[in-house]
Amino acid sequence: MKYAGYKGKILRINLTNKKVSTIEFSDEFARKYLGGNGFAARYIFDMVDPRMDAYDPSNVLAMMTGPFQGINIPTAGKYYMASKSPLTNGYFDSVSGGYIGAQLKFAGYDGMLIIGRAEKPTYLFIDDDRVEFRSAEGLWGKLTGETQEAIRAEVKDPNLYVSAIGPAGENLARYACVITDYRAAGRGGMGAVMGSKKLKAIAVRGSGTTEVADPDKFKAWMDWFGAESKKVPAFVTGLPTYGTPALVSSINNMFGGMGTLNHQSETFDRWESISGETLKKEYWSKDTSCPACPIACSKVFTAKSGKWKGAISEGPEYETIYSTGSMCGVDDMGAIIKADSLCDEWGLDTVTYGVTISFLMECYQRGLITKENTDGIEFKFGNDDIVVNYIEKAAKRIGIGDLIAEGSLRAARVIGGDSERFAIQVKGLEIPGHSARALRGMSLGYATATRGGSHHDPRPTGEYAGASDRKALEGKPAWVIGTQQMTTIGDCLVNCHFMERLLGFTLTPKYADMINAVTGLNYSYAELVDVAERVIDLERAFNVRTGIRRKDDTLPKRFLEEPIPAGPSKGMHTDEATLNKLLDEFYDLKGWDRRTGIPTKEKLARMGLEDVAEVLSRSC
Amino acid sequence: MAAVTVEEKKPIIKYDFQKCTFCKICELSCAEKHFGKYGDSLSRIIIVRKGPLMLRQFVCTRCDRLFCIAACPKKALSYEKGNIVVDTKLCDSCAKCVQACPFHGIKIHPQTKMPIICDLCGGDPECIKRCPKGALAIAWLPVKKQ
Repeated sequence: MKYAGYKGKILRINLTNKKVSTIEFSDEFARKYLGGNGFAARYIFDMVDPRMDAYDPSNVLAMMTGPFQGINIPTAGKYYMASKSPLTNGYFDSVSGGYIGAQLKFAGYDGMLIIGRAEKPTYLFIDDDRVEFRSAEGLWGKLTGETQEAIRAEVKDPNLYVSAIGPAGENLARYACVITDYRAAGRGGMGAVMGSKKLKAIAVRGSGTTEVADPDKFKAWMDWFGAESKKVPAFVTGLPTYGTPALVSSINNMFGGMGTLNHQSETFDRWESISGETLKKEYWSKDTSCPACPIACSKVFTAKSGKWKGAISEGPEYETIYSTGSMCGVDDMGAIIKADSLCDEWGLDTVTYGVTISFLMECYQRGLITKENTDGIEFKFGNDDIVVNYIEKAAKRIGIGDLIAEGSLRAARVIGGDSERFAIQVKGLEIPGHSARALRGMSLGYATATRGGSHHDPRPTGEYAGASDRKALEGKPAWVIGTQQMTTIGDCLVNCHFMERLLGFTLTPKYADMINAVTGLNYSYAELVDVAERVIDLERAFNVRTGIRRKDDTLPKRFLEEPIPAGPSKGMHTDEATLNKLLDEFYDLKGWDRRTGIPTKEKLARMGLEDVAEVLSRSC
Repeated sequence: MAAVTVEEKKPIIKYDFQKCTFCKICELSCAEKHFGKYGDSLSRIIIVRKGPLMLRQFVCTRCDRLFCIAACPKKALSYEKGNIVVDTKLCDSCAKCVQACPFHGIKIHPQTKMPIICDLCGGDPECIKRCPKGALAIAWLPVKKQ
């Protein structure tokens, strides 16, 4: 490879016939798709028939790295997973902290593509150039922590990095996650895809090394980062002290955008008991971090007294406090810590789980479901036992757990009535704790995101910080496009999006500087924007082939029709007519067809994706 | 009185697992400093996590017993000015030193096959400088000699 940060090789592993091969890619390929997200989007577009079920053996599970893994560059201690999602049926990716990405690089690969289905439960052990298919029959049914420990013991390496699924993934809960150490590739059901392949875990160990293109240039950039990051309050005090739970008080009290009781409100009156300050004071045990990150926003919290005494978890993050806390009307932090750790252990995404529970609680409140449907339990808001106890039931698909494991949209379709209007999801993915009503950018952002209700396609941070007026409509489509480009480049590098506070909330030339300092790619800013657009267009093209059109770029009916009832953002929401106006402008700027939402032939040609345009014209 | 006299002091890398966040910047900084490359296989310090709260550090402790030197059949290891030094001409990469070290402070370089052992970067350890949380520090322990 001409560029640093790459190995030029992707592992291709077929679980059906246990064949292993490597795909070598060119310098041009690296330049065109950058890594992580870009690589996976290209391979998945080429290899997966979007009309097939996500659980079909032909679906591809990609585990990727970007050019930054295995290098001491801040916040790049991550890995990237992608597949066709069983929750949204579209292209989906999930990024998690974990040294397994670096280990993959040290083993000599930029990523792996896993296809097929093993006959019996299997785990993969990749040790440099050796790929072993090992039996996981003794691990099937085990929790994620036990699984990682058992594999470390079997390989006799206490320092081995393992990504594992829990029983939720095995039982195809549609939003099962993948856990590495204590961090999750949480959203979209990557763990369920692993489960459908009978793949319990992936362990990777590498003895190789990585290098940067120009050590002096890299050192200069690192020095710049060191000095500049000291000026970012979130890096110095906010995140290191409180972690993401710091957001509770500001989002609830300043922005009035913390979804409460399934978004019947967006201010939680008992916010203080679940705030970052309370957590730090009463529950904090330890700071931890993803590899290579000096910020250490991750916290281990312990319930030291009360009903849930003894509950301990790395987390909960803000999103979990929202989904299992305010959304369900739960104000006992101990229960939220317990739910967080159980979701990790059984292998469920905390956001989708919590929002699906809050959805069912509202169905119960409105009489759409009764005790007969809920195994005799009063499914009421504020009941912390429900939030904790139904994790195992969902993971095992027992009783109503079978419905919970389907997520809110599918549950709404079973329950019927007008329940779909308050299923808080876009394209099947539950919306996290950044308001689609209080932040205009997130209204349009969620509606148009590849993944649906994800706050890592568009970003809310710039609107919280005031870099874009959260109430304004003018210029919003361009802003949203900018944040989506930024997150896409972040996911190609497999870097933490928190870098936005230093490098820009939208894609800026500073991102190109960082990439050039490591890789020697010497991107111009314009070229980098094209990389982002190319990758987003590829994802969109995949989704178009699953049937996604403009009609799907929308929000839950509740958000389109009901303004926020009270609080600092009282009266705010984006109605259908306004959303349509924003969408027109968004599509025009993107070069997507206004009527259909499909990327135009001209746009795809400009991105060097003529072959993709060809596939779309044949299949649409 | 027993005939124990303090003759000199030896340096160790002191580790505060409460402050450590498991970021592993020390590991990659160590590899970068000595080899200009990144990889935990080249790092002389390793942090291992066990459970949500427990972390352990593995690095040469310059222990009193000097297990590695005793275990070397080629007499390739010696203790000089607070460091274990490898004579690469004598070493035949048998890795007996690795097995003998109860502190897991030695590993074998994957390419050169020579033992790599913490040398405190000549007195200004890179891992300590680069630790963002101040979890590492030099401490001086008395050497007990009979």
